Amino acid sequence: MHPLLARPARLLLVVATAALLGVPLAWLLRLLEPRSWLAALAFAVPMQVFYSFIVLSAWWVCRRHPISGDTIGKAVLAQIATATQASAVWVGLGAFWAVTLSHWLHPGLSRVAILRDLTVLLAAGIPLYLSSAAAHYLFLAFEASHAAERRVLETEVTAREAELRALRAQLNPHFLFNSLNSINALVGSDPEGARRMCEGLGDFLRRTLALGARDDVTLGEELVLVERYLNIEQLRFGERLRVERVVEPAAADCRVPPLLLQPLVENAVKHGIQDCLAGGVIRIDARREGTSLRVAVENPVDPDAPSRVGEGVGLQNVRRRLEVFGAREARLSAQRSGDVFRVTLTLPAIGGAELPEAARG
Amino acid sequence: MADALRVLLVDDEAPARSLLREYLGAHADVVVVGECANGFEAVKAIGEQRPDIVFLDVQMPKLDGFEVLELLEPYTAPAASAATDSAVPRQGSAGAARPAVIFCTAYDEYALRAFEVHAVDYLLKPFGRERLAEALARARSRLAGAAGGAHAGGPGEPPAPGGAALAAAARGAGRYAERVVVRDGAQVHVIPTERLDYVEAQDDYVAIHEGERTHLKHQALAELAESLDPSRFVRIHRSFLVNVERVARLELLAKDQRVVVLRDGRQLPVSRSGHERLREQWS
Repeated sequence: MHPLLARPARLLLVVATAALLGVPLAWLLRLLEPRSWLAALAFAVPMQVFYSFIVLSAWWVCRRHPISGDTIGKAVLAQIATATQASAVWVGLGAFWAVTLSHWLHPGLSRVAILRDLTVLLAAGIPLYLSSAAAHYLFLAFEASHAAERRVLETEVTAREAELRALRAQLNPHFLFNSLNSINALVGSDPEGARRMCEGLGDFLRRTLALGARDDVTLGEELVLVERYLNIEQLRFGERLRVERVVEPAAADCRVPPLLLQPLVENAVKHGIQDCLAGGVIRIDARREGTSLRVAVENPVDPDAPSRVGEGVGLQNVRRRLEVFGAREARLSAQRSGDVFRVTLTLPAIGGAELPEAARG
Repeated sequence: MADALRVLLVDDEAPARSLLREYLGAHADVVVVGECANGFEAVKAIGEQRPDIVFLDVQMPKLDGFEVLELLEPYTAPAASAATDSAVPRQGSAGAARPAVIFCTAYDEYALRAFEVHAVDYLLKPFGRERLAEALARARSRLAGAAGGAHAGGPGEPPAPGGAALAAAARGAGRYAERVVVRDGAQVHVIPTERLDYVEAQDDYVAIHEGERTHLKHQALAELAESLDPSRFVRIHRSFLVNVERVARLELLAKDQRVVVLRDGRQLPVSRSGHERLREQWS
């Protein structure tokens, strides 16, 4: 639907403007062939109103033939062809209307005078249509830039929201409260340990804030953060928390969105260690496979735990951030097999040393 | 009344327990009778040790703090406890009251539930010596009040919460239980609701059927039914609650006399209103 036809108020404005344009046309026709103002207006005003609807069709033609680089010639040709057709239709309508009027108005115009009027219509119709097309092109360009601006803004807002959410999840208050409680406990029994824990917690928080402020980080940097986090949790869970890491050097150099892995490991601690009597092993495995980077986080699950329907907030957040990161090949998959829960993150391998040709499969 | 206060510490994190132990060391009348690292141990230790005060963490493996309290339920009513706890040696006086419970957790969202089950206090980690001393003082006055009155109902002692309140608190408001906890002597079973076949009312107990096994729990069938997801568990009879996923078919034996046949061939009676509920479920 044409934006000018979409609302009654705008439609009325179109009709009124067209009717006003009928006045100069009537004046021109009176110059060529003397007649009463009534006769001139009765012909010119409806003709202009008709034509205003015809020239609005330029909107569809403009959208069909956008002006961009090499298509400009085609667009101009298409517009001229349409202008000629539009003008021809207008002349046809004009002929019908002029004949009709000559029956009603006395004295009617001569055939020669009608032909002259129609020639005027044909001559005026083409430039009128073309100026409408030009106006439409301007309007469409304005609209496109507006939409692009809004899109950029929307993406930015979504990205910012995702970042905030990630940061908030990162600075999980319960993790902080429990850590402070552990420090509180250590102060009495092991003051040196309490100091180390303060230092570890401070380092973790500083790294979180620093990484969170960047657009991307290396997987290695993210893994250092994860390690700091696990060191702190180790103190709370003791023997129950065991960690195994397999990280290829080529994988550690890849660039990833910040704070993406951290929530996955936190989830693993929550469901795999905190909810299991004997605790277990959290396995982190990162490798580069051709053009993609694969990071897996595994944790044990309590066999009695009810199978969860859907994903938790943590996984959803990671998924959303992957979308914002904009990598089309980025994927997150989670599955439980037996007593092990495994989340696999697949990202395009960006940055870092390329694998030598021979090493590729 | 100058007896020592017997205290049990329940937390799955060793540093949290050692902190409590350290703080409590300053109180001469307090004896720590045990430490538990999970809900199973806690249920067992509370039964055996009969502590006066329990410091209870909420988030623990297998059984959370609220489920631990739910499993202590028979112990509040002396008549019932004699039947279920016969295997457990009693150390306290014959009418030992429920221990005063002080929750210790980093999560503030459980506070409301904690007071629904009449916890004496709710300590938010990290907390200091003064805050702990305050909680202890509250527990002392609650215990003194209980001893002054006739066990329950004395001044300062609110009535013990019923099983429904405990069960509701254990699963959280507005949610259906994902698992059912059952105590069998010194043993505790955690049964995910998806494994339940059907439940049968037997006097004051419910018999919970899970495959070949049957667990007895001191609870009313209506109360258990209320805690379970009604789209999965249908009360087909005054005495029967069935997991609809286990139902193979419905058979008409005579006019107005129906049975459901479970996948394993067992038959359960269906009352008229039970039949209506089933039909609603299937429509």
